[in-house]
Amino acid sequence: MATDTLKSRPGAQSAPGGLRRLLLDNGALTALIALVIAMAALSGDFLTTDNLLNIGVQAAVTAILAFGMTFVIVSAGIDLSVGSVAALSATVLAWSATEAGVPVALAVLLAVLTGIGCGVVNGFLISYGKMPPFIATLAMLSVGRGLSLVISQGSPIAIPDSVSHLGDNLGGWLPVPVIVLTVMGLLTAFVLRRTYIGRSMYAIGGNEEAARLSGLRVKRQKIAIYAFSGLFAATAGIVLAARLSSAQPQAAQGYELDAIAAVVIGGASLAGGTGKASGTLIGALILAVLRNGLNLLSVSAFWQQVVIGVVIALAVLLDTARRKAGTSTAPAAADPGGNRRKQALTYTVAAVVTIAVIAATSLLHGGSSAGKTQKVGLSLSTLNNPFFVQIRAGAEERAKQLGVDLTVTDAQNDASQQANQLQNFVSGSRSAIIVNPVDSDAAGPSVRSANNDDIPVVAVDRGVNKAKTSALVASDNVEGGALGAKALAEKLGGEGTIVILQGQAGTSASRERGAGFAEGLKDYPGIKVVAKQPADFDRTKGLDVMTNLLQAHPDVDGVFAENDEMALGALKALGSKAGKSVQVVGFDGTPDGLKAVEAGTLYASVAQQPRELGRIAVDNALRAAEGKKTDAMVKVPVKVVTKENVAGFGG
Amino acid sequence: MSNADELLRIEGLRKTFPGVVALDSVDFDLRRGEVHVLLGENGAGKSTLIKMLSGAYTPDSGRITVGGEDVRIDGAQDSERLGIATIYQEFNLVPDLTVAENIFLGRQPRRFGMIDRKRMEADAAVLLERVGVKVSPHTQVRELGIARLQMVEIAKALSLDARVLIMDEPTAVLTSEEVEKLFSIVRRLREDGVGIVFITHHLEEIAALGDRVTVIRDGRSIGQVPASTPRDELVRLMVGRSIEQQYPRERAEAGDALLKVEGLTRDGVFHDVGFEVRAGEVVGIAGLVGAGRTEVVRAVFGADPYDRGSVRVAGTALRRGDVNAAMAAGIGLVPEDRKGQGLVLDASVEENLGLVTLRTSARGGLVDLKGQHTAADRIARQLGVRMAGLGQHVRTLSGGNQQKVVIGKWLLADTRVLILDEPTRGIDVGAKVEIYQLINELTAQGAAVLMISSDLPEVLGMSDRVLVMAQGRIAGELAADQATQDSVMALAVSTPTTGTETPRGN
Repeated sequence: MATDTLKSRPGAQSAPGGLRRLLLDNGALTALIALVIAMAALSGDFLTTDNLLNIGVQAAVTAILAFGMTFVIVSAGIDLSVGSVAALSATVLAWSATEAGVPVALAVLLAVLTGIGCGVVNGFLISYGKMPPFIATLAMLSVGRGLSLVISQGSPIAIPDSVSHLGDNLGGWLPVPVIVLTVMGLLTAFVLRRTYIGRSMYAIGGNEEAARLSGLRVKRQKIAIYAFSGLFAATAGIVLAARLSSAQPQAAQGYELDAIAAVVIGGASLAGGTGKASGTLIGALILAVLRNGLNLLSVSAFWQQVVIGVVIALAVLLDTARRKAGTSTAPAAADPGGNRRKQALTYTVAAVVTIAVIAATSLLHGGSSAGKTQKVGLSLSTLNNPFFVQIRAGAEERAKQLGVDLTVTDAQNDASQQANQLQNFVSGSRSAIIVNPVDSDAAGPSVRSANNDDIPVVAVDRGVNKAKTSALVASDNVEGGALGAKALAEKLGGEGTIVILQGQAGTSASRERGAGFAEGLKDYPGIKVVAKQPADFDRTKGLDVMTNLLQAHPDVDGVFAENDEMALGALKALGSKAGKSVQVVGFDGTPDGLKAVEAGTLYASVAQQPRELGRIAVDNALRAAEGKKTDAMVKVPVKVVTKENVAGFGG
Repeated sequence: MSNADELLRIEGLRKTFPGVVALDSVDFDLRRGEVHVLLGENGAGKSTLIKMLSGAYTPDSGRITVGGEDVRIDGAQDSERLGIATIYQEFNLVPDLTVAENIFLGRQPRRFGMIDRKRMEADAAVLLERVGVKVSPHTQVRELGIARLQMVEIAKALSLDARVLIMDEPTAVLTSEEVEKLFSIVRRLREDGVGIVFITHHLEEIAALGDRVTVIRDGRSIGQVPASTPRDELVRLMVGRSIEQQYPRERAEAGDALLKVEGLTRDGVFHDVGFEVRAGEVVGIAGLVGAGRTEVVRAVFGADPYDRGSVRVAGTALRRGDVNAAMAAGIGLVPEDRKGQGLVLDASVEENLGLVTLRTSARGGLVDLKGQHTAADRIARQLGVRMAGLGQHVRTLSGGNQQKVVIGKWLLADTRVLILDEPTRGIDVGAKVEIYQLINELTAQGAAVLMISSDLPEVLGMSDRVLVMAQGRIAGELAADQATQDSVMALAVSTPTTGTETPRGN
C-alpha cells in the first residue's frame, strides 16, 4: 500500500483555520461547546459566573479521578478501584484526624499514602501476580470499600474544619476544588507529555511487548502507573470529603465508571496508547455541564439518566466519526473535497447533538415558564425505593394543587451528587428547597450555602446537621422503632429469637429505627437478638442476607427489618415459613409492604405516611418562601399496620 | 476480446486515496489454468489491486470484467459470487474452531436448523484431500502450524468453488520444504483450470511456478513478460533501475569475540547451544522453522529465560532473563514479528526511534524531548526512512521503512551486538539491499551482527559464518566459502545428537 505519502503535516494549513482545526481535531470539544450553547439558550441561569464555578466544583472529583484513570487507560489498563480508594482515603483522613488525634497535616499525608498504597498493591498484582487489571482492581474496589466501612464503623465521620476549608472558596469566590482540579490537570499533562514514565505509558499501551523488548521496565512502570491512579484517587477523596464536611464510607460509589467515561469521551482508547489530559478534562466537563444543565432545566430525574447516556454515546460517536474521516483525508491543499466532507460530517454530528439535547430537554422539562409561580426544588436521596417515590407523588400532587413549579431530582444515594443538585437549585434561583438528605452531615455545606443566599430549606424524612432548616418534616423513627419492637415481641408472646436487618450503615433512619427498636425491646427480656446485619434498605440484599442468616440460625422466630423493602426480601428468603413459624415486621408501610400485610406473610409494618410527608413538606416550603413562620419540627405520626387495620390504610 | 479461456480482465483501473494516487491505468488479465505472478516492490500497489478484486475497495474508474461481463465488486459477497477467493498474508481463521468449521464458516451445512456436523466434516475431508494435506477436520485450527493454516485457507477457497484464486505472498512465511508442497498444490489447481494470481517477492519462485508476470511499479502496470524472463530484467522492471548486487556483503576484518554463548539450554526447546560472534562479523543462523532459532536469540537477549548455560558480552556474563542487562552490555534485538514486537504502531516515527534511549536520555525523570527529536531526525536521514515527517505513525509506513525504524532505535543506543531475526521478511528488493548496506556499515564500525533468516540465498550471501540449527541444537557451522544451499539444507534436516527430548515450539 502506497500510504507513505498519505499523512499530512499539521502545520501545513493557514493560520485562521487554527480554531476550526482545533474543533475538528477534537470531537469532544465540539460536543462540549454545542452543549454549552444549548444549555445557555435554554436556561438563563446557566451562563452565570456562579453557575460556571459550580460546574467546576461539580466536575472536580470526577475530573481528578479521571486524570488518574488517564494514566492507566493510556497504558492499556483499567482501574475500577478509584471510587473505593477515594472513599477509603477520605475515611483514613477523617478517622486519623478526629478519632486518632493525629495532626491534620499528617492525616492528609496518611490519606495520600493510603491511596498510593492501594495503587501499588494493584500494580503489584497486575505486574507480578499477572492478574488482568480488571480483576485486580475489582478486588481492590471491594477491599477499599470494605476497609473504609471497617474504619468508620459504617457511619460518616465529620472532618476537621481546617480540612473542610478545602471545600470553601478562596477570596470569597474561587472554589478550592477548582484550584485543585487545575493543578492536578496540569500535573497530568506534564507527566504525560514530559516525563519518562509518561512517555512509557504510551509505549506500554501501544505495544507492551515492543516496549519490553526496547528495554522499558514494564513491570515497575505499571506499579508506578497504578500508584499514580491511587494518588489521584486519594486527592479526589479529600476534595470530596472537604466539600461534604464529612468522610462518607459509601461515597464515590460508581465514580470509576464516570471517570472511565470522561477519559473515553476525551478521545482515549480503551485499547491503550492514546489519551490526553485536556481530553479527559473536556470529558469530565461534558458530564458536569450535562448534570448541571439538566437540573437547571428541571428535567425529570429519570430522563436525566437517559439523556446522559445518550450524550456519552453521541460524544464518542462524534469523535470516532471524525477520526475515521480524518485518517482517510490528506492535506487541505491536495484534496479540498475530502476536507469539506470531514468538516461537513463534524458539523452535522455537532448539529445533531445540539438539536437532540435542545429537543430532549425542552420536551422533558415541559413548560415551566409560566409567570410568577413559586419555584421549589426537591432533592430526594433516591428514587429507587417506593417510599421516596411516594414522597415525590405527595409533593407533586400538592404542588399541582397550589400551582407551584416543583423540580424533583434524584441523588441516587450519593451525597456528593446531592450537593451538586442543591447547588444547582441555589444558582437556579428557587424560592425554596426541600431536601431529603442522603446523609445529614454531608448535606450541611450545601444547605449552608442556600442559607447564605436566603433561600429557605425544608428537610424531609431526615434532618440536616450544622445548617439552618426552616422545618424538618419527618416521621418519628425512634417511636416507630419502639412500636415495631412492641408489635413483634407481643406477637411472639415475649419469648423467642429474632434477627434484625439493618438499613444502610450510617444513615440516620437506620440509626434511629435501630435505637428505637432496641429501646422498645428492653421491656421484653424474653426476646433474644441473635444477629444484626446490614442489607442497605435493599430488597435483593435483604433476600441474600436473610438467606445467609437462616443458614446460621435456622430456628429464628422473628425478623425486624428497618424498612419494608428488606422485609419483603426476607419474606422471599423465608418462603412458606413467613407469617407462620417466623413473624416479620417491616417499616415504612409502602404499597408492596401493605400488600404483604394483607396477604398475611408480613405480620406488620410500621407505616409512615410518605405522601403525607411530601404534602406537608411542600406546604412548609411555601410558607417559608413567603416568609411565614414554620415549626422547626413537624412530626408526621407513624402507625403499626397489621392485617386487622390494613384495609383502612392507603398511604 | 472474447477469449473463452479468459477468467478476468482489468483495464485502465484507477484508484486514488485522498492526496495520493494508489493505482493508475493498470491492466491485467487472467486465463484459465495459469499462474499469473504480480510483481512489484512494497507500496507499488499490488495490495490495492487485489483489494479491489476482493471487494475491499471499489475503483474510481476503469473496467473489471469477469468471464467477459462487466462487473462491479462492492464487497466480499460480490467477489465470492463471482468465484474470486483471496488468501491474505494474515489468515482469516478462527483459532478455537475446528478445521471443518473454519472451512464452512458462516455456511455450515444445516439440518433442521442444527449444524450437520457429519456432512460438514465429510465435505471438509474431501476438500483437504484435494489440497493434499493430512489434517483431520476435527483438529482445532490453533494447533496447526503456519503451512497447514495456509492449506486450510486454500481448502476454504476451494469450498467456495473459486475459479480465481489470489494468493498474497503465500511463501513469505514458509520453509523451502513447505514451499515445494505449496507449489505442487498450486500446480494441481492449475491443472484443474483455476486461474491463480500469485504475489511474491522471491524471484526464483517465478520461474519455478509462474506462467506470466505483470510488473507493477508506482501504481502503474509497467509490462507483462513471460515467467522465463531473466531475473536481472525482472528486477530492473520492478525497481526501475538495475541492482548490481543482490547481496553486497563487504567483509571486514573480524576482531575479538564480542558475544559468546555457551551451553545454552531451555529444556524441551533448545539444548547446549554455543557459539561466538566476533566484532566486525556477520553470523547467520539457518534452519527450518521450528528449529529453535528465535527462541535461542530471545534467550540471549534476555527476553525469555533459559535453564542452563551462559551468555557473555566482551567477557562479562549477563544475568539471565534480564533485557536491561543485555541492553546495557550493548545487545539489541530486531524481533521476527516487526509489528507485534518491534514497533508501537500508533506512535510516531520519532517516538519509536526514541524508545530504547527514552530512559537513558531522561534527566531527573524528564524526557529530553529536544535531544530525542534531534537524534531521531539524524538517524532517520542516515537510514533514508521514507516518510512524510517524524510525526507520521509507523503503522502507515511500508514494511521496509518500518524495519529501518526498528533497526534505527538500536543504532541510537550504540548497539555493539545486533541480533536480527528475519530482518527482510516481507520487504521488497530495493529496501532489502539498503538493509544489507546498513549491516555492512555496522560491521565496518566494529559491531557484531547475528542474523536469523529463512531466506537461504540471503544467509549465504550476507553471512561470514553460517550456523545451522536443527531440532533445538546447533547441527553444524559452515564458513562462508563452504556454505551452499545443499550443505545448509543437509544440516538443517539432520538429527544433530541422539537427544531423547523432542523439540517443541516453532
